Amino acid sequence: MTISVKLDRVLLDRGMSLTELSERVGVTIANLSILKTGKAKAIRFSTLEAICQELKCQPGDILFFDTDGEVADAAE
Amino acid sequence: MRAIGKGSLASILAVGLHITRIILWIAFIGLSIAIVIVPVFSIVVGMIGGFDSLDIDDDLIVGAGDYMEIAYHFVGFGVMLFVVTRLLEILQTLRFGSPFVKENAERFRTVGYALLIGEGAKFAFGFMSLITDSDVEIDSEMITWLAIIAVFVLAEVFHEGARMKEEQDLTV
Repeated sequence: MTISVKLDRVLLDRGMSLTELSERVGVTIANLSILKTGKAKAIRFSTLEAICQELKCQPGDILFFDTDGEVADAAE
Repeated sequence: MRAIGKGSLASILAVGLHITRIILWIAFIGLSIAIVIVPVFSIVVGMIGGFDSLDIDDDLIVGAGDYMEIAYHFVGFGVMLFVVTRLLEILQTLRFGSPFVKENAERFRTVGYALLIGEGAKFAFGFMSLITDSDVEIDSEMITWLAIIAVFVLAEVFHEGARMKEEQDLTV
């Protein structure tokens, strides 16, 4: 059971690159990369808010509670 | 007083530890030479002692107790050298600005174990001195044990600190 991040998918849907998002949100590419690759241990509300604002999405579009891959697969 | 850089307590400590390490190395090398020379010296004195005409002072005859004393100091200097080296490594991470790393927690833990070994060796050699004629005494002070406990507590604090630092680094 893990929280998985689907930032790459949302970025793909919006046709936005990580660099562009980084510039818009004001978070370094290195940090966004940590988030995208699922290495992040925590995410600040302010970061999540900024990402959601720029990508025009809900936190639930980016974060998934993955119960052995079931929920994530269902969401697909 | 500044935490790092020139004139800071850390840099003063580092200088002190470097000097201590040099002294310990000299003592360690001296003891290593003594370990080689003492048996040879003992054989030579034994050979000379074979000539009844020569008067050999009893102090020159090397006994089991002398070997044990050398071994005791060898362990003692070894432990001190190990501890000083680890402390210097810890100070170096402080100089680079990242003391809260798992390696430092491990270093503090090994320092704790080294001190435990040192104290254990004190007891072991003290008991062995009862058999031989060496001057190693069985003595241990409460403050030493408290210092060892303090080192282990520090190791745990650093372990948790390293975990928190990692979590902070991976917070986006």
